[in-house]
Amino acid sequence: MSGAIIRLGLLVALLAGISRVQLWRADTGNSVMLAAGALLLCGMFAGKVAKGVGLPRLTGYLLVGVAVGPYALGFLPGEGVKGLELVKGLAVSLIALVAGTELHLGLIRRVGAKVALLCAAVCGVTFVVCFAALFALKPFLPFMVSMSLPQAMAVSALVSTVVVSFSPTVTIAIVQETSARGSFTEFLMALVIIGDLFVMVAFAVAAGVTRASFGGGFDFRGLVGGVGWELFGSVAVGALLAVAMLIYMRRVNRELPLFLVGLCFAAAEGGARLHLSPLLVALSAGALIANLDERESQRIHHAIQLAGLPVFALFFAAAGAGLKLSTLVTVGPAALLLVVVRALAIHQSCRRFAPKEDPRLRRYLWMGLVSQAGVTFGLAALVSRTFPDFGPQVEVLIVAMITTHELVGPVLTRKALERSGEARGDERPQTA
Amino acid sequence: MQALLVFLAIAALSLLASSRTLLDPSRLPGVAQLAASGLIFLVFGALLGPGLAGVLTEADLQGLRPVVSLGLGTAGVILGLNLEPRLLRLLPRPVFSAALAHAGVAFLFVAVPLTGALLFTTGVSLRLAMGGAALLGAAASLSSGHFAVLGYRSGRMERSRGLAVALLTMLDDGVGLGVLALALVLGAAASPAEGVGLVCLALLLGILCGGLIAFLTYALKDPAELTAVMLGGVALVSGAAAYLRVSSLLAGVACGATLALVGGRAVEQVARALGRFERPTYLMLVFLAGCHLQARDVEAWMLLPGYVALRFLGKVLGGSLAQRFAASALKLPPKLGYALIAQGGLAVCLVVQYLMLVPGELSQHVFDVVALGAVVNEVLANRAFRQVLETPRAATGGTA
Repeated sequence: MSGAIIRLGLLVALLAGISRVQLWRADTGNSVMLAAGALLLCGMFAGKVAKGVGLPRLTGYLLVGVAVGPYALGFLPGEGVKGLELVKGLAVSLIALVAGTELHLGLIRRVGAKVALLCAAVCGVTFVVCFAALFALKPFLPFMVSMSLPQAMAVSALVSTVVVSFSPTVTIAIVQETSARGSFTEFLMALVIIGDLFVMVAFAVAAGVTRASFGGGFDFRGLVGGVGWELFGSVAVGALLAVAMLIYMRRVNRELPLFLVGLCFAAAEGGARLHLSPLLVALSAGALIANLDERESQRIHHAIQLAGLPVFALFFAAAGAGLKLSTLVTVGPAALLLVVVRALAIHQSCRRFAPKEDPRLRRYLWMGLVSQAGVTFGLAALVSRTFPDFGPQVEVLIVAMITTHELVGPVLTRKALERSGEARGDERPQTA
Repeated sequence: MQALLVFLAIAALSLLASSRTLLDPSRLPGVAQLAASGLIFLVFGALLGPGLAGVLTEADLQGLRPVVSLGLGTAGVILGLNLEPRLLRLLPRPVFSAALAHAGVAFLFVAVPLTGALLFTTGVSLRLAMGGAALLGAAASLSSGHFAVLGYRSGRMERSRGLAVALLTMLDDGVGLGVLALALVLGAAASPAEGVGLVCLALLLGILCGGLIAFLTYALKDPAELTAVMLGGVALVSGAAAYLRVSSLLAGVACGATLALVGGRAVEQVARALGRFERPTYLMLVFLAGCHLQARDVEAWMLLPGYVALRFLGKVLGGSLAQRFAASALKLPPKLGYALIAQGGLAVCLVVQYLMLVPGELSQHVFDVVALGAVVNEVLANRAFRQVLETPRAATGGTA
């Protein structure tokens, strides 16, 4: 581990030197590639250091991103980190593709109904508790102070749907890292994925209600059409993607990792442009392949493990670099209160509603549901864009929550998998 | 969106360029040759870029600058990794003289007359015209050994002769890079002293990154980790150079050379890891370079015939001079100059780098002439190389 610390120190020293030289060069160029290279290398070695001290590699990626990013030491410019959005989409697609290959019909038949019921319970309880907390905080939250009662209720509902969301990306990355296998892991993964589907639908409804409460009118057809397109359109595009992959693997079958990276990149970018969910597109593609051709799904799994390390290290380090630590100061108390309330709600609903036959679910499942990342970021940005009056302030609040969740979530998820007895340790160093 | 567009364009073009029909030399020899060398991507880039169809706009090209920097940095690191010090020390002096002869003659044949032509067509100062012409000369001095490699691999050329040609073409890269450094000293900053500082900064950055990558890869055994470190290292050196507005190509060369010098056993693995990305990166770079081409640049079209003809002449004469110098050390084919007509990707890299760091009308002319010239030279080289192959056959026939 000392070797990794020395290497990380040298990397940070080089970055410090570059940022120093930049001060002498008044006319600086584009910083996207610098951010990409620096975050990838720092992420990799920070992951090794984190593993050495018993933390998930992912926490190492995130922390080093925060440290060298524009909001802490400032070695990387903000525009450079912002320019890495493309990588984020790619990583989400790759992670979802791997997760999809785990979704066999047998598994869905076995636990599908139980997961859906528990998910509804957890999401419902968390939503109600967060809604109540937000509504109670109305006099203390600047963006809600001047709102009427119905408006405040609608905004509380909107923010609560975002706050409920989980992080399939973090969960799947930690499952990959720990090579966890078993019924608990399957249950957790299925729950975070289905939870996100619930959140997508609920968010669309809450956004429609909020728009109506601010005088925008309630467009039921547009609402149903939007949600339907995002859900069913994503599944349909995912199915097309699966067919394309199967044809490629059977006919061309060369440079599979590169092909998958390229295809996931196209799916992420294209999906975002078409207002589809990149996560759902890749997830359904993976699931379809897993159920059509088990051998090819195993090959995809293996290929992404080879290509995944740089993408995952860069993705999570860039996510860390994008965390605005200053938001913790401005809306910190409200955000921290919501973090605690959300965690308690998840904990209590899991203890009460999780299936009785597996006591591990009642004890440890909640730990795997605390993380928040990409989906929540996306919804917060959407609130900011859709409601320019109060949206930006809501975004600050949610980003502050994500910052806290990003730092504690991966550690808790790993603990949950370890305590369930299904984590096998870092057997495969090449994974996230 | 522009990144997606470029990705889709590259993917579609890759499929097209790997089509058997297109690669069949008996059907469309010129196109097949361009497809095999990758320069067809330059043509497609020119067709889709803002200069012609406008599928990619100027703003898109600005947004894609980091990708161009990455391509230049990767090319530089690969070049630097090939500068194997032990191998270079083993080479006898006549080999270096021969490389300098064919590169130097072509340089002088192009740079001297075109200084006047640039003065006349662009109306810039003598200093600037000399800088632009020097870069044209530098691009002209470069040769690609891919015909020789293909020749000996297909059994149409004796292996020792093919390798000798490839070696000479590798060594001429130094002339091109040296002139690029000089052109940047003169053009990339307000004063030559500042220019020297910027070139030194690029080299220092490369050396530091090379040393760091060597240290980072030391004791790494996992291939995925090695690939990730190499990719990150190349992105870091290219990105840092682009951020500080110094040459990514020169920084990459310094990085690769340092890595080759101090990298130990890991260098081979690192080079292999990088090799997997060489072709896609090269094609992407050539495509984006093509997008920068201004097809309506009349002055460039006027200069093009002179540039190609002078280079051809310079290579033929330089080739015979090189043959004389290296007769004792290398087994070279007769009519060596004809084997040196192909120009390869480094010439395009040089002028793209110049265009990025010294924007303006002159650098655009230089870029257009060299990019168009690379395509013409590639097609010419296909015919010229047959002269090299036919001679031994005739000789054998005569003997028999």
